[in-house]
Amino acid sequence: MESSKLIKKFEADFTQEVIDFGSKFFPEVENFRACIQCGTCTGSCPSGRETAWRVRKLIRQVQLGLKEDAIRNDALWNCTTCYTCQERCPRLIPITDIVRSVRNIAVYNGIMLPRHVQVAGLLIKYGHAVPINDETREVRKELGLDETPPTVHAFPDALGEVKKLLEDTGFIRLIEEAGREGSK
Amino acid sequence: MGEKVGEEPRVGVFICHCGTNIAGVIDVEELVRYASKLPGVVVAKDYRFMCSDPGQNLIKESIRNFKLNRVVVAACSPRLHEETFRETVREAGLNPFLFEMANIREHSSWVHMWQPKEATEKAKDLIRMAVAKARDLEPLEVRKVPVKPSCLVIGGGIAGISAALDLADAGFEVHLVERTPSIGGHMAQLDKTFPTMDCSACILTPKMVMVSRHPNIKLHTYSEVVDVDGYVGNFKVKILEKAKYVKDRECTGCGLCADVCPVHVPNEFELGLGARKAIYIPFPQAVPNTYVIDKEKCIECGLCAQVCEAQAIDFNMKDKEVEVEVGTIIVATGYDIFHPYEMQQYGYGKYENVITSLHMERLLSAYGPTGGKVVVPSTGEKPKRIAFIQCVGSRDEHYFPYCSRVCCMYSLKHARQIKEKYPDAETYIFFIDMRTFGKGYEEFYETAAKEYGVKCIRGKVAEIYEDPKTKKLIVRAEETLLGDPIEMEFDLVVLASAVKPSETTDEIQRILKLSKSPDGFLLEAHPKLRPVDTFADGVFLAGMAQGPKDIPDAVSQAKGAAAGAAALMGKGEVEIEPYYAVVNQEICSGCKTCSGICPYGAISYNEEGKAEINSVLCKGCGACAAACPSGAIEPNHFKFKQILDTIIAAFQEEAM
Repeated sequence: MESSKLIKKFEADFTQEVIDFGSKFFPEVENFRACIQCGTCTGSCPSGRETAWRVRKLIRQVQLGLKEDAIRNDALWNCTTCYTCQERCPRLIPITDIVRSVRNIAVYNGIMLPRHVQVAGLLIKYGHAVPINDETREVRKELGLDETPPTVHAFPDALGEVKKLLEDTGFIRLIEEAGREGSK
Repeated sequence: MGEKVGEEPRVGVFICHCGTNIAGVIDVEELVRYASKLPGVVVAKDYRFMCSDPGQNLIKESIRNFKLNRVVVAACSPRLHEETFRETVREAGLNPFLFEMANIREHSSWVHMWQPKEATEKAKDLIRMAVAKARDLEPLEVRKVPVKPSCLVIGGGIAGISAALDLADAGFEVHLVERTPSIGGHMAQLDKTFPTMDCSACILTPKMVMVSRHPNIKLHTYSEVVDVDGYVGNFKVKILEKAKYVKDRECTGCGLCADVCPVHVPNEFELGLGARKAIYIPFPQAVPNTYVIDKEKCIECGLCAQVCEAQAIDFNMKDKEVEVEVGTIIVATGYDIFHPYEMQQYGYGKYENVITSLHMERLLSAYGPTGGKVVVPSTGEKPKRIAFIQCVGSRDEHYFPYCSRVCCMYSLKHARQIKEKYPDAETYIFFIDMRTFGKGYEEFYETAAKEYGVKCIRGKVAEIYEDPKTKKLIVRAEETLLGDPIEMEFDLVVLASAVKPSETTDEIQRILKLSKSPDGFLLEAHPKLRPVDTFADGVFLAGMAQGPKDIPDAVSQAKGAAAGAAALMGKGEVEIEPYYAVVNQEICSGCKTCSGICPYGAISYNEEGKAEINSVLCKGCGACAAACPSGAIEPNHFKFKQILDTIIAAFQEEAM
């Protein structure tokens, strides 16, 4: 049975955080303040047909300031960013952009799905989110290409540079923290 | 500078607190100190509400005690109280145009609510500018022009009909112009009216007949207003009476002609659900009950003329332009329903069983194409499950951001009517917010749910699919109160489509030089206090032309517009603002630049080829003055010196 829940306060800070953070990347993020919760987004959501993802609810959580509910929701990662909700929103709210903003905020709070941590780990280790494998090498050979593509795979020095970039931008620290948080 | 009143300017500045509207932000005491030191200012005072009786008395006493000959009131927008204070000044024995207003509320305290210091500084600037202009003001005289006791009503829907009848009953002559062959408008298409469930035709047709019989009403159907010239009290109106090819005085409305006419055309009145002939009346209760030939569709076989006993048919009839003179005009041009073809997610126009609510009205109507039987278009069978979809185009920034204001109520009405006809049918209304705000409306909503079992689902429909085999419709939405998506199958989907300004609105707006609000409807002069007036003197608005509204509101507004027009015509004369432009004949070179620019057609040229301005037509917009290469034209109250001194004052850092 679901445990009962009593909301005692809303965090205006979170609402502002989404606006401040989202506005760095996307226009008109603050439009969510005008959301009338009509449900066109969830009704249009292809992911919502198959998963527990309810995009309208996220907008509500952002609108009111329910940070934990918003970022500690595994379904948050079920959005495929197809943009149908954003296309149809009668209030012109950049819904998908807001989903992406909240995901970023989640990551900065150490929240990531284990599989994402895994992929990020590959990027740190090999300089590729999807590193080359024997199968791909074989296909390349058949196509008459070099077995190893002219990427960091072929230039070990460049891999060092990529790692430095990931280090300097704080990416590695972020992933390590998320990894620790995730294993809790 | 003030030479016209023969003495040095003695300016009084009166600063209003407007309760806390101004004083809550701006330091009024500081303004008083500041204003009293401005050049020409003899006295500066403040008061809580300057527009109140004591406030006005304060101005009057000061005019007498300090021998003021110019008055500046720093308060709200002149739109609100310029008239009030002019009257105050006049009562104190001064010419009312020796008065200037500084708008420190809308232009400062309201817009700079969080910057009180800066707001106070800006208010000082505004007062300094107003005082500078006040010093240059000249006395002006208001002129009076007679008002013809006759009104043009444009649009023959329920708003136009109501206004026309009120004015005609009050003894004024009315010209009612209707574009289609019959008056009645959209109300004639409706079956029943919420919340009382009166039969629409039963309450409308008696009014229509009264219009046709009223000795004071001249009805121009199948006609359009093509030009309006003149000004308040004295409009010259050109009406194009389109050829009906049937002499309406002779036509008895027997209908034999339509019986024999071989041409079938989709009937506009039935939104294509039914057919009419090339010779037709749009609906049985049409007024006038005389036939019209649709010349585009007519094959001129002459059968109608053969059977017409009254010999009313005349294939050689021509369009005719008539000119009438009226004192006032009421615009009641109504609305069009939005046909949401472009909202592809709903499949309107693609799926047969997706219709609009206006189609539903015709299906419900006893004299509609199905005789009042609601059927599924693809099968002709009665529907078992019907979905009503709210806010189709309305409240949607992609289409119409406004609420259409009638859909919640008529959808509840439709659902209820279907339950009355088919008690075992299931009716669902998908809504965002149920807006049932009128008298008796909330009760109607309650009854629909409680006694008729109408189910309301909170969620805007996202998309509709058709099962190509069964033609049934799958509606997808979110039940937002449960928080889960739903997918349900329906036999019939009814779109509560937005209302939008009628297609004739733009043309009428152009002819009458009216303004539109951002929603595309015609703009009233003040949303609260002048809701039926326009900025064009003598022109009033009624019904949906001004914005979405239901029948009770449309009729109320029509009666308001009629009262406004009657007040003007009853008085028989009207005062005209003396803000017209004046040509200095000695400087005018007759280059004719001004006449091309004047939007009011107020400029003509005398025998010497010099410009002359018709002071009644001129609105004092100043376009001619700005364009005149010789500087020969100046609008009263906005003379070059007055404007320049205002600008100079604006750029003075320190006034002293």
